[in-house]
Amino acid sequence: MPTIAPNAEKSGIAGMLATTHRHFGLFFDYFSQYAKVRVSYRGDFFISLATSFAATIFALSFVVVLFNKVPQLAGWRFEEVLFLYGFSLIPYGIFNIISLNLYDFGNNYIIEGKFDRVLLRPISSLFQVLFETFRIESLQEVATGVFCMWWATRHLGLAWTPAKVALLFFFGLCAGIIYISVFLILSTVSFWFEDRIGVHPPVWNVMAFGRYPLSIYSGVVQFFLCWIIPFGLASFYPSVRMLGRTISPQYAPLVPVVAVVFLTFAISLWNFGTRHYSSTGT
Amino acid sequence: MLPRRCPASRSGVAHLRWFPVNARIYNWMSADSLIHVHELSKHFRTFKRREGVWGSIQNLFVRDYRTVAAVDRVGFTIERGEMVGYIGPNGAGKSTTIKMLTGILVPTSGEIRINGFVPYRQRRQYVKTIGVVFGQRTQLWWDIAVIESFKLLRRIYDVSQRDFDARMEHFDAILNIRDYLHTPVRKLSLGERMRCDLAAALLHNPPLLFLDEPTIGLDVVAKDHIRHFLRAINREFRTTVLLTTHDLDDIEELCRRIMIIDHGKVLYDGHLAQLKQQLLRTKQIKFVLKDRTQADCLDAFSRDGLEVDQVDELTYRIRFDRVKVSTSDLIRKILDAVEVRDLLIEDEPIEEIIKRIYAGEAHLEVSV
Repeated sequence: MPTIAPNAEKSGIAGMLATTHRHFGLFFDYFSQYAKVRVSYRGDFFISLATSFAATIFALSFVVVLFNKVPQLAGWRFEEVLFLYGFSLIPYGIFNIISLNLYDFGNNYIIEGKFDRVLLRPISSLFQVLFETFRIESLQEVATGVFCMWWATRHLGLAWTPAKVALLFFFGLCAGIIYISVFLILSTVSFWFEDRIGVHPPVWNVMAFGRYPLSIYSGVVQFFLCWIIPFGLASFYPSVRMLGRTISPQYAPLVPVVAVVFLTFAISLWNFGTRHYSSTGT
Repeated sequence: MLPRRCPASRSGVAHLRWFPVNARIYNWMSADSLIHVHELSKHFRTFKRREGVWGSIQNLFVRDYRTVAAVDRVGFTIERGEMVGYIGPNGAGKSTTIKMLTGILVPTSGEIRINGFVPYRQRRQYVKTIGVVFGQRTQLWWDIAVIESFKLLRRIYDVSQRDFDARMEHFDAILNIRDYLHTPVRKLSLGERMRCDLAAALLHNPPLLFLDEPTIGLDVVAKDHIRHFLRAINREFRTTVLLTTHDLDDIEELCRRIMIIDHGKVLYDGHLAQLKQQLLRTKQIKFVLKDRTQADCLDAFSRDGLEVDQVDELTYRIRFDRVKVSTSDLIRKILDAVEVRDLLIEDEPIEEIIKRIYAGEAHLEVSV
């Protein structure tokens, strides 16, 4: 057995790679652990899947009803809005699958003290909080999103080239990272202020704004959705790019940059916050 | 079978730097010391919560902050292989100390060095070398079979399959956990769960084990089982154990050394036997009278200034200071005065001594 001594772990880039590799492997272990939990409550899974699917359908039917009354929305056709709506469902789904724990972080981990146990394990605390539980039924959101996009492109007569599919994957991932980072930043607030509900709900509702063309909003709202809570930026500009519409300014290339900036900031804030963690009691 | 981990040991001279004057600490210090704590403090900023609806609205805006020293300049050294009891009333600072020692909390000031690590700074490497059990909580996955938790912990702690199998075998031999390895954790009894939690905490064979109230809520048999196991791992692997408890039987059966903490300060740090010897002033004699008519003769004792309590119908108890009253004299006196069917001499229970220390009555000449 290797000797455990201070600084036994490799430092520098080699160490970082080793740590990343280790966490990557552990991701599958955590996921299969979660799967075992879910399988032991089968009924619960199907009910949850049904309700979550119903919620998606209700929200989607609002768009359909809207366009039954008006043919266009600030120069956007129904199919185009549906494409955008579909695309925005992808990061939303990814976010829901991974970040279930963040929504309840303050209550569950800080106030109930579950974070103690997280800190006692020799792996990243953020990794544990994110991957201790999933919301696998939110895959239906990703699936519904893809279906909407497919239906829209068919009616718009747009072809899916491999390049476009790659673009979809890339921007979908970036948008997902932005969504998760925003909520991660909000969750770190719990390290300083012990509140049960936290600040998530209002921001959660802001996500709905990102599902419609940014150009229908006023300048202030657009700025807010692009640079403060960039849900709009994350879904609108990539969709425009994939739809082949021209719009200026063209912010799509900035989406990955914003994703990296937000994620870096979120992780730094998280690490800073863990040192502030004061546990329960006394 | 289970190789010990040998952390980089530091020279004894280096330790001196932290404890320049305190001779007591020096005595316990050697190259084999595992835990060094010096002038450790943790302050919390809390505010007085107002009551009622209006009060909670006020709380949102105006808060009277106070700083509370949960742990106040605590210092001690623990050697490899020791089993130390860390006791104190609720809110004394026990858990806060443990949380700083395990790297969960960052100290406000002071130094901790354990096994060559500074816990809060090198958290991820450090926690591989410790095992922690919080009696009130479980680290096992609640909804699935115990073995699944063990399997994931094996991966988290990077334990090889061979070591894992060997250790499981070993834990089973002492803890008898095999029968319920395939039961979901939520269906285990508290005693069974605690055994599994102990096994989980030791899966990576840490040289140091922290236990926060390991026997809380357990029945006598389960407690005994846990204590037996702790003694066994301490004997076989020389695992150092630091445990907090409210059950003084735990201490008497497991620890030679105890530390008593209250209001964030260490009040006593030394051997349990020594504490008893120094602070055990009161003894008691219990005796059972032959019949009820004898009771009237007991008045004589009260006149001599001795307290006589009636325990039940025929049983009486006299408490006395062993320094002022000779035990044999008193026994003679009792036998002369009344006809006795049975007689029992007892030391003051350790609980009473501890209570006196908490209340600030006991003089702790023995400590520090």
